[in-house]
Amino acid sequence: MSLIELSQQLYDSELGTALRESIYMFPIIEGLHLIGLAFSVGLLVFVDLRLLGLFLRFIPIDKLLHPLRPWILVGFLVTIVTGILLFVAAASKIVLLDVFFYKLIFIVLAGINAFWFEVKWGQQIKNWANDEQYPKGARIAGGVSLALWSLVVITGRLIPYLSYE
Amino acid sequence: MSTLEVFKAIQASEFSRFVGGQDHLFGAVFQLIHIVGLILVLSSVILVSLRLITVGEFANQSLIRLSDATAHLIWIGLGLLAFSGVFIFIPAATNYYPNSAFWAKFIFLVLALLVHVTLYNKITSVDNPNKTLARFTAVLVISLWLAVAFSARFIGFV
Repeated sequence: MSLIELSQQLYDSELGTALRESIYMFPIIEGLHLIGLAFSVGLLVFVDLRLLGLFLRFIPIDKLLHPLRPWILVGFLVTIVTGILLFVAAASKIVLLDVFFYKLIFIVLAGINAFWFEVKWGQQIKNWANDEQYPKGARIAGGVSLALWSLVVITGRLIPYLSYE
Repeated sequence: MSTLEVFKAIQASEFSRFVGGQDHLFGAVFQLIHIVGLILVLSSVILVSLRLITVGEFANQSLIRLSDATAHLIWIGLGLLAFSGVFIFIPAATNYYPNSAFWAKFIFLVLALLVHVTLYNKITSVDNPNKTLARFTAVLVISLWLAVAFSARFIGFV
């Protein structure tokens, strides 16, 4: 089954049709997607800026990342679940857009960057959390995360506008 | 002059017709700025509210310094929201007039700003505010800002 056929099946499914036809469900899911984004990407931006030494320099990174991590993860969970529902509702149109695949690529790259940060720097975070300037690799991970999540937001917001072309 | 007449005059202005006559990607740029502004405000309020609510290690951080640091971001976010909001609003001002979600958004926005400049600023001006009042403030400001975001998403659907 091709991606186009699969997306058409999702679009025509009971769930896809119900989401499109409901007056309230679509904006509620969009609203939750936005709120999930504020908890996930919004709070992650603060962590990235702290890694770069540009924001909240008075809080060591471990004291910021540790309490925020569960909220960031819940935010991502909400964003992903609502994102899948938004995709199902318009699947056959969205898969025709290059910008959608760019968004997915940026999300995967951001995930790989986060995983690399956790393995390489997150394990021994207490060893460098109180340093005046953080290790170059950790700063690069913060900068890359900031750039990739910005691109995810930009490409995501462009999806409805490029659908009309 | 009634509100509707004001909206009609705004939409009929030369500037409004210029904005409305642009490519739809021109509008997408302002929508993008709008969303960045909203995320800046929401995530800043969420960060400070987590400090007000949590009892764990985050509770040891200075509330004054945290709210000072995020205050700039909140005002930058509000500036971006107002700037982009004008460009989104003026080409279709009369369409917004009968839209209940549009008015709900502004009511929640006014309430959120009122609570922000009064209770929120008062609570975050000390490092150890009354815990019950701090939690009440956090829940109130988050609820109001989330209501702003939700009603904004409903504008296109009612």
